Amino acid sequence: MIKINNLCKTYSTGAFTVPALKGITLEIASGEFVAITGASGSGKSTMMNLLGLLDRPSKGSYLLDGIDVSHLDDNDYARLRNRKIGFVFQAFNLLPRLTALKNVELSMLYAGTKHEERRKRALEVLTLLGLEDRLHHFPNELSGGQNQRVAIARALINNPAIILADEPTGALDSQTGLEIMSIFQELNRQGTTIVLVTHELNIARHSRRILRMADGLIINDEEIARPLDAHNEIQALREKGGRA
Amino acid sequence: MNIGELILVAIESIKSNKLRSFLTTLGIVIGIAAVIAVVGIGQGGRAMLMQEMEKFGTNMFGIWVNYRDGESFRLDDLQINDITVIKENVPQVKYLAPASYGQMQLRGSKGHKSVQVIGTTADYAQVRNLETVWGRFIRDDDAAVGRRVIVLDERTALKLFGPGNPVGKKVMLMSNSAVVVGVIKSDSSMLGFNSQQIAYLPWSFLSRLNGWEVIHELQGSASSKEEVEAAMNLSKKILERRHHAPNHYYAYSLEQEMESANKVTGIMTLIIGCIAGISLLVGGIGVMNIMLVSVTERTREIGIRMALGARRKDILVQFIIESIVLCLLGGFIGIILGYGGALLVARLAKWPPLVSGWTVLLAVGFSVAVGLFFGIYPANKASKMDPIEALRRD
Ligand SMILES: Nc1ncnc2c1ncn2[C@@H]1O[C@H](COP(=O)(O)OP(=O)(O)O)[C@@H](O)[C@H]1O
Ligand SMILES: [Mg+2]
Repeated sequence: MIKINNLCKTYSTGAFTVPALKGITLEIASGEFVAITGASGSGKSTMMNLLGLLDRPSKGSYLLDGIDVSHLDDNDYARLRNRKIGFVFQAFNLLPRLTALKNVELSMLYAGTKHEERRKRALEVLTLLGLEDRLHHFPNELSGGQNQRVAIARALINNPAIILADEPTGALDSQTGLEIMSIFQELNRQGTTIVLVTHELNIARHSRRILRMADGLIINDEEIARPLDAHNEIQALREKGGRA
Repeated sequence: MNIGELILVAIESIKSNKLRSFLTTLGIVIGIAAVIAVVGIGQGGRAMLMQEMEKFGTNMFGIWVNYRDGESFRLDDLQINDITVIKENVPQVKYLAPASYGQMQLRGSKGHKSVQVIGTTADYAQVRNLETVWGRFIRDDDAAVGRRVIVLDERTALKLFGPGNPVGKKVMLMSNSAVVVGVIKSDSSMLGFNSQQIAYLPWSFLSRLNGWEVIHELQGSASSKEEVEAAMNLSKKILERRHHAPNHYYAYSLEQEMESANKVTGIMTLIIGCIAGISLLVGGIGVMNIMLVSVTERTREIGIRMALGARRKDILVQFIIESIVLCLLGGFIGIILGYGGALLVARLAKWPPLVSGWTVLLAVGFSVAVGLFFGIYPANKASKMDPIEALRRD
């Protein structure tokens, strides 16, 4: 699915050059659920941007779904982002002037999907995420958790090979965060490959593999034999008489 | 992403910022409205003028005596024999009539009125396209036989005899009497020339009444539009030769008058065009300005769209279309306002409003061109953004 070899990224700002990634070699197989953790500034976002084809590495190779992307141009990058990658951001990044439905349709718009098909599929996915009664709400009319679910729906809509989520629970309270994690776990159970960045260990433990980054390098790569189950945690919280 | 979708995206974005969009397009609105109004008014006015002129027939020409400083009026500068000679020698001249002007008090059974009288011959009706309502116009044998006849125009007839056919009734002029043989349709012309009341007498009869013979002007028509020039010049030559007076005559044709009228409206259109062009330019710069602001404001949107798979081209086209739609919107409002203005002026001036399809098409074309031209720079800026940078911005 993902195969990177000696990936480097150096930012140069004026006189300084900042090595953000210092040679990362990594394989992620289809169907994996990977969490990347590490201190702030360790290079997590840089890594995600490269994996998400939003940026180009300074050095090293990247095979996405068997495609060597190093020789592709901006248009190919855009097409691959559209077809193979679903982004979920910390700040949701929904377009404020579009309804939930329209936001979800956006990715399909750039895929050239016909109008009726778009409508049908967006409805399907939003319903799957429990938002069937929020279709025509604007982002500022929805809660953080709801917005993030819209964003996940948008990420899923083109059946991407992989979902990249950079701190998806960072802007949410812990219970809402768990709800989002439970969605990711469910998606992963159904076969979606997920790479998630978080600096919270509690969140990372829901994945099945944790990569720890420090200073532009992966310093630890650990399989999680028994990941936490977000769904159970929510149930437990409810029984303890937390929020309804 | 197809054009239809992009247009929808553009409209949505324009709708979400109505006031700013409206203010942005104001320059375009004013520019287009000005063009439409002025062209509409100008074309309407011109059409009116042409229509008026064509009533006389476009083949018409006239010859005056060209008095220079110090020269005094002479009775024999134009003579009735000149007409005969010209008609015999210039085949291009189809009709040629003398016109002798005067003012006379006419008295009928119901009233009296001081009117303009024109002493002329049968040809005059042909030259001026006169229409008879009742009876007939002056005939050539009237002069030959020395008939004391008069032809009135409708208004004069009404004044002198009241409504109804006055043919056969008697008109007193000075101490003489004449029989009405015909009534001519009054011209509702805007040019004012014919709005006064007119009576026509055989030229020989008027001369007898006056006690002298005078022809103030010759009015003729050529056999075709193409021959007006020749008819006019050859007639003038004959007069110059017969009277041994080079440059003593002045000839004019309706054709010439129309041309100069055309030239004037052409120059006016050009000036207005320049003004409109400048206002469109200013409007376009306004649009560019707002589009630049819009691009900056929507940096994050651009980043999101790119992350979701928008190619640079998609972003470029999106913003160009937004700019074009904005300008088109302004253009449509401008067309409506301009047309309204033209309609209003036309109604006040009583001439047909003429906003041709071409003018509208041109206005639409200009709107699109301005939108395209001034949209390219901001759109290009948007499409060149780095997705990561764009996503990081708020
Ligand atoms: N656009 C940039 N220009 C210069 N330096 C950058 C840029 N983006 C990130 N960096 C630097 O690269 C390093 C890694 O950043 P980042 O990947 O954002 O870390 P993390 O997401 O783990 O907090 C940091 O030192 C950061 O300052
Ligand atoms: Mg980060």
